Amino acid sequence: MSSWMLKLGSVFTTLLVLAGSFGYTTSHLKNARAPLQPPLADKAVAVAPSASPVAPTATLPPLVPLRGRTRPPSAPGTPIPSLQPNVRSADLPPITFTHVS
Amino acid sequence: MDAQTLLWVVARATGLASYAAICISILSGLALRTSVLDFLAKNRAMRSLHDFTAWIWIPLGASHVAALVLDTTARIAPQDLIVPFRTDYGQLAIGIGTLSLDLFAIVIVSSWLRRRLNDDLWRALHRASYLAFALLFLHAFLSGTDFDSPVISSISWAAAAGLGILAVSRVLSGRLPD
Repeated sequence: MSSWMLKLGSVFTTLLVLAGSFGYTTSHLKNARAPLQPPLADKAVAVAPSASPVAPTATLPPLVPLRGRTRPPSAPGTPIPSLQPNVRSADLPPITFTHVS
Repeated sequence: MDAQTLLWVVARATGLASYAAICISILSGLALRTSVLDFLAKNRAMRSLHDFTAWIWIPLGASHVAALVLDTTARIAPQDLIVPFRTDYGQLAIGIGTLSLDLFAIVIVSSWLRRRLNDDLWRALHRASYLAFALLFLHAFLSGTDFDSPVISSISWAAAAGLGILAVSRVLSGRLPD
């Protein structure tokens, strides 16, 4: 066999492998069993501020002294019920005149 | 398909194709010193093929590493192509590939400078291609995303085993009998 036929055969074989590999990889883009799984880049997740403001809740001292008892654990962020009157002052001007008949 | 996905596909496909081309190159090199391919062609034609195959696997290998450097998910830095075991994941698997790349670069450059080197030095450097191929196979086995495919795995294993048997026979027995 001449050298050019050998060269042609090697090019043809390599191109066949290349085409087959392209076909396989495009149909199997992700392989969950791949031995190497590079870590994903750290992406900062932007958290939008909450649209509905939460009314501040005052933390009251315990009504009954905790004598030797620990306070039951509460989940962080859980609002504590308040017994204070929930009346707020408005920004309106105060009423200074009342009609007297 | 976005650009990053295309780079990932190119890296995998060219990696497999360069493996195939390197197999042909090593087989034709072994055939020069053994009689395994005497039925196919004479040594002059085989030598011509051996020299030619470098122009097939070098661009494919270069495309493989270039695509991995450009792929932001793979996180391969240009220094990782020269200095092994630097990556922040898969250090062994990728580092072995880097060692293989370095050895193949030495083999290629020494072949281009063959007339300026003495024969013993050139022969010793050229025989490093056996080690480079063994490392390349190990790199493909440890890090190859497509190596769990039965077809790809069986072809790769068969090629590596065939070349391994020929290489060991060549080392132990010299030129194989007809």
